[in-house]
Amino acid sequence: MTGNQKEEIRIGVFICDCGSNIAGYLTMQELVDYARTLPNVVFVQENLYTCSESGINEIKQAIPTHNLNRVVVASCTPRTHEPLFQSACEEAALNPYLFEMANIRDQCSWVHMREREKGTERAKHQIAMAVAKAARLRELSRIELGISHRAVVIGGGISGMSAAMALGNMGYEVDLVEKQEKLGGLLNSLNIVLPANEPSSRLLHDLAARISANDKIIVHTSSEVTKAEGYVGNYVVTIREKSAENRVKAGVIIVAIGARALKPEGLFGYNGKSVITHLELEALLKQGAPAAKNVVIVQCVGSRCAERTYCSRICCMTAVKNSILLKEADSRNKVTILYRDMMMYGVENEDMFRKSKELGVRYVAYDPAKLPQVGEDFVKVYHQRMGKEISIPAELVVLSTPLVAQEDAANVSSMLKVPLNENGFFLEGHVKLKPLDFATDGVYLCGSARFPATIREAVSQGLGAASRAAIVLSKEALFTSGIVADINTETCCGCLGCVDVCPYGAIRFVEEKEICQVNKVLCKGCGGCAATCPSESAKLDGFSSEQIYAQIEQAFAS
Amino acid sequence: MASKDVLIIGGGIAGMQAALDLGDMGLQAHLVEKNPSIGGKMAQLDKTFPTNDCTI
Amino acid sequence: MRQKPRYVEASRCTACGACAEKCPTKVPNEFNFGLDEHKAIYKDYAQGIPSVYTIDPTHCRIFQGKKCGVCAKTCQAKAIDYEQKEKFVDLNVAAVIISTGYELFDATRISEYGYGRLPNVISALEMERLLSAGGPTKGHLTRPSTIRAEARVRELAKRIKKAETDQDMENLGRFQAELKWLEAQIHKHHTATKLGFIQCVGSRDFRFHKYCSSFCCMHSIKEAIIAKEHEPQTESYIFYMDLRTVGKGFEEYKVRGEKVSGLKYVRGRVAEILEDDEHNPIVYYEDTEERRVKSMTLDMVILATACSAPKGVNPLAEMLGVELDENNFIKTHPNRPLDTSVPGIFSCGCAQGPLDIPESVAQASSAAARAAEVVMTGGLALAM
Repeated sequence: MTGNQKEEIRIGVFICDCGSNIAGYLTMQELVDYARTLPNVVFVQENLYTCSESGINEIKQAIPTHNLNRVVVASCTPRTHEPLFQSACEEAALNPYLFEMANIRDQCSWVHMREREKGTERAKHQIAMAVAKAARLRELSRIELGISHRAVVIGGGISGMSAAMALGNMGYEVDLVEKQEKLGGLLNSLNIVLPANEPSSRLLHDLAARISANDKIIVHTSSEVTKAEGYVGNYVVTIREKSAENRVKAGVIIVAIGARALKPEGLFGYNGKSVITHLELEALLKQGAPAAKNVVIVQCVGSRCAERTYCSRICCMTAVKNSILLKEADSRNKVTILYRDMMMYGVENEDMFRKSKELGVRYVAYDPAKLPQVGEDFVKVYHQRMGKEISIPAELVVLSTPLVAQEDAANVSSMLKVPLNENGFFLEGHVKLKPLDFATDGVYLCGSARFPATIREAVSQGLGAASRAAIVLSKEALFTSGIVADINTETCCGCLGCVDVCPYGAIRFVEEKEICQVNKVLCKGCGGCAATCPSESAKLDGFSSEQIYAQIEQAFAS
Repeated sequence: MASKDVLIIGGGIAGMQAALDLGDMGLQAHLVEKNPSIGGKMAQLDKTFPTNDCTI
Repeated sequence: MRQKPRYVEASRCTACGACAEKCPTKVPNEFNFGLDEHKAIYKDYAQGIPSVYTIDPTHCRIFQGKKCGVCAKTCQAKAIDYEQKEKFVDLNVAAVIISTGYELFDATRISEYGYGRLPNVISALEMERLLSAGGPTKGHLTRPSTIRAEARVRELAKRIKKAETDQDMENLGRFQAELKWLEAQIHKHHTATKLGFIQCVGSRDFRFHKYCSSFCCMHSIKEAIIAKEHEPQTESYIFYMDLRTVGKGFEEYKVRGEKVSGLKYVRGRVAEILEDDEHNPIVYYEDTEERRVKSMTLDMVILATACSAPKGVNPLAEMLGVELDENNFIKTHPNRPLDTSVPGIFSCGCAQGPLDIPESVAQASSAAARAAEVVMTGGLALAM
C-alpha cells in the first residue's frame, strides 16, 4: 500500500510438492483448491519444486501476467529459501518484502507424516496465515551505506601488530594505536620466546621494522582511543596522541588491547626478591641466570580458584620453558614445579615438557585443598603420590600467575558497546564459530584481550581478525536489511524498555524529546524491542502487530 | 593477468571458514573435499560445549 | 583437480530422497561408523552440503553388473546418470590453503584396550553419533552389543518362523532359548548408564604419538555431561593423566561437570580392558591418588582417540613440495603460524597439528588473510 491510495491486493500462491517431501504426505489438490478460496488470492500454482529453475521462472512470469502484487510460497524453510524467492520477485519488479513464506514441509508434512488428513488441514491453516499476512505487507527498502576503507587497531602488541600488517599488505590504510611509548606489549618484557627459541627482541624488531616500512600503516604510540562513534563502515574514532586529539574515519575497529600479568600481592609470600613472578624471572634471565641453586615454581597462583575461575592457558608452558633455561644455565640447579595439571597441550608443548624431565626438572602434583607453604628458604607441600608432606629447599620461588584483563578493558568495552565476560576478557560473537567477531558488525577481536594466548596464537588471531575486517573493507557499499525496527514518536513514553533489551545497541534515548529512537543501520531486525514495548510504539517492519494479529486470527479460525 | 584465485584443500570447519572469508572478500575460492559433503569431523559431532549448541 | 563422479547430476538433483527410499541395496553407514545402514544412493547426513545424493559404485547393483535402475526410474528430476565420468579441472591459483584436517587414531593398535574386539568399547566420535538425535539410535544411549542383539532378535524371529513351518524342533528349541536370553539381556542393558572415558588413547604414548591431542579432555567431559542430560541416572568416570582445560570457559565447564553433572575425574592410566559374559567392560587401572591398582565394571567405555595426521597427506605434501614434521603434520614457520615451507602455500586447522574448534576457526580466517595478502599484492607479501 503506497501512499493513501487504496490498492487492490492481488496475491499469487505457489505450492511446492518438494518432490515427495510434501506431496507424499499431504493432499496437494486440496491445498490448491483451498488457496483459491482465500481472500485476495487471484492465482494459485502447484510446482514439483518451486525452487527449481522452472519453478522460479513460473513465479517471474506469473507476476506480470496476473498482475500480482504479493507472492506467497508454501514450501520449506525461509532460512534457506527465502532469499531465492525474494530475488525472483525483485527480478519481476516486485518489492522483495511483498513476499511471504509458509513452511509446510518442516512444520507440517515432516512432523505429520502418518496423518494425511490432519496434516493437510494444518497446511491449509499455515497457507491462510501466510496469505493473511501477505495482504498486509508493505514495501520496504534497504539503505545503502558508503564505507571508509580504513581500519583502526587498538593495541600495538603482537596480535595488533599482526592485524595491522595483514591489512596494510592487503592495501588498506591502518591506524595502529598503542598506549605505551613503543610497540610490542608484553613481548617487551619477555626473554626467550618459543617455539622459535630466540630472544623476543628479534621477533619484535622484525615485525616493527616491516610495519614502519609499510606506508599504509600509521603508528600512534603513547596514544589512546578516547571515543568511537558511528557504525560498521562509518566510524569516527578519536585518537589522543600525547596532547593532540585526532579524529579519523574508519570502516572497522580491531580490539587488540592484550592482557597483563597478575601481580600476586599477598599470595605465597610474594616479595619481588626471593619470591617473584615469571616476568621478574625473565628479566633476571635476560641478565644471565640467577644465583639460586634451588628453585621452586608454583603453578596456578591466583587462577583456577574461587576468585579467578579460569585456567590462564600459557603459565604451564612458561614455567617449563624457564625451568629448561635454568637447567641449561647450570645443570646442577635443582628446579621443582608444583602443579595441579600440566597444561602442555599440542605437539611442541608436550615435547618441551618431556625435554624438561630429561634435564631433571622435578614435578610434584599438589592438591588445591592443601596449598604449598612458602617458608624462608624452603617450600612445604603435601605430596599426593607419596601421601605425605615434604619440604623442598628453595632460595628462589617463582609464582606462575595468570594473565588478567587490562585495567582499561571496561572503558574500551563501553566505548565500543561490546561485551566483557565475568573475568573482564572480551566476549566474542560465538565461542566456537565466531571467535574473532563481536555481535556488533565492524568490531573484531584478537589476542589476549579475548583470552590468554601464546605468541603463535596471538599472531594467528591478529591475522584472522584482519581477514574478518577485510570482508567489510573490501566492499564498495553496505546494505541494511529492510526488516528494521521503528519507534512511533507520538506514543513513545521513553520508558527505556527497548534500550535495555536491544542486543546491538541500536536504540538510544533522545533526552530533549524524552523518547527512544532506532538507528536503522545498527538494527538487526530481531524484534526484541517490539515485543517489549508496553505501548506498541516500537514495531518491526515486516512483522508489524497488524500483520501478526492477522496471522494469529487465521491460526484459530476454523 | 595473474590469477587471483585461491585453492583450499579440505572442506572441514577450517577449510569452510577460510573459503567463506575469501569469498566474502570478493575473491574466488575453490574448496576441494574428497567426501560427498563438506563439514568434516564437526558434522559428526552432536553438540559443542560450553553452550551445547547443535553443531550443524 | 580431479572431480569424482557422483553418478547424480548435481544441477538437477533436488535432494528429495525418493531414490534412496526405493533403492534396494543397504550399505553400512560409515558416517555413523557402521552402527546403522544407508542405501547405495545416499547423503552423508540430512543437512549435508551440497544437497545432492551420491551413488556408491562399490555397492550399487548397476555397477556390480546386476539389473536394477530403480533410482533412475524413481527420480522425477531425471538426475541419475550412471555414465557420469570423473572430471579433471585445471585451476590456476595464486595461493593454496591446506586444511586437510586429521584422522582418528586407530585404537585397534592398542590391543590391551580391546577396541574392535569388545563391542562396548567405542571411540569418542562413535559416542557422538550415539548421542546425536540424527544418529543411529536417535540419541538414546544404546550399547553396541544391544544394537547387535536387537538385530539378532529380528533374525531369530524369522528363523523361528521358518523352523515352525519346517517342524524343525531341534533348531526351534535352540533359537527360542537364544531369543529368551537375548531379550532378557536387551531389557537389562536397555540404556548404558555407567560410563568410563579413557583419555590419551594413542596420545602422550611413546609407542604411537608422543604429543598431546589438545581437544580430547574437553570432548570427553562434554560427552559425559550430555549423556547425563539424556539419562539422569548416568554415572561417568574420566580416567586421565592431566585434565587440560586450557581454553576460554573450559576450566569452569570441567568444574561444572563435577559439581552439577556428578562426573568423577580419576587420575590414573588404564592398563587393560576385559569384559564379563554380559559384554560389560572391566577396566584395570592405577588410582594414583590412592596409589592402588583397582578395577571397575562399566556398561560402556569410550576411548578418547588421538588426533593423527591423515594418511593421504604424504602424497599431497610431496605434490605441493611442502615439508611435514616428524608426526606428518604440515610444518609451519615458528613465527608465521600459517606459512608452510613453500611461499604461497598456507595451512590451517588440524592439518598442522591438534587444535580445538575455535582455534581452528581463528586460524582459518588467518590463512584467508595470508592468502588475500598474496593475491592483493601480486605475491609481494609472500614473506608476510
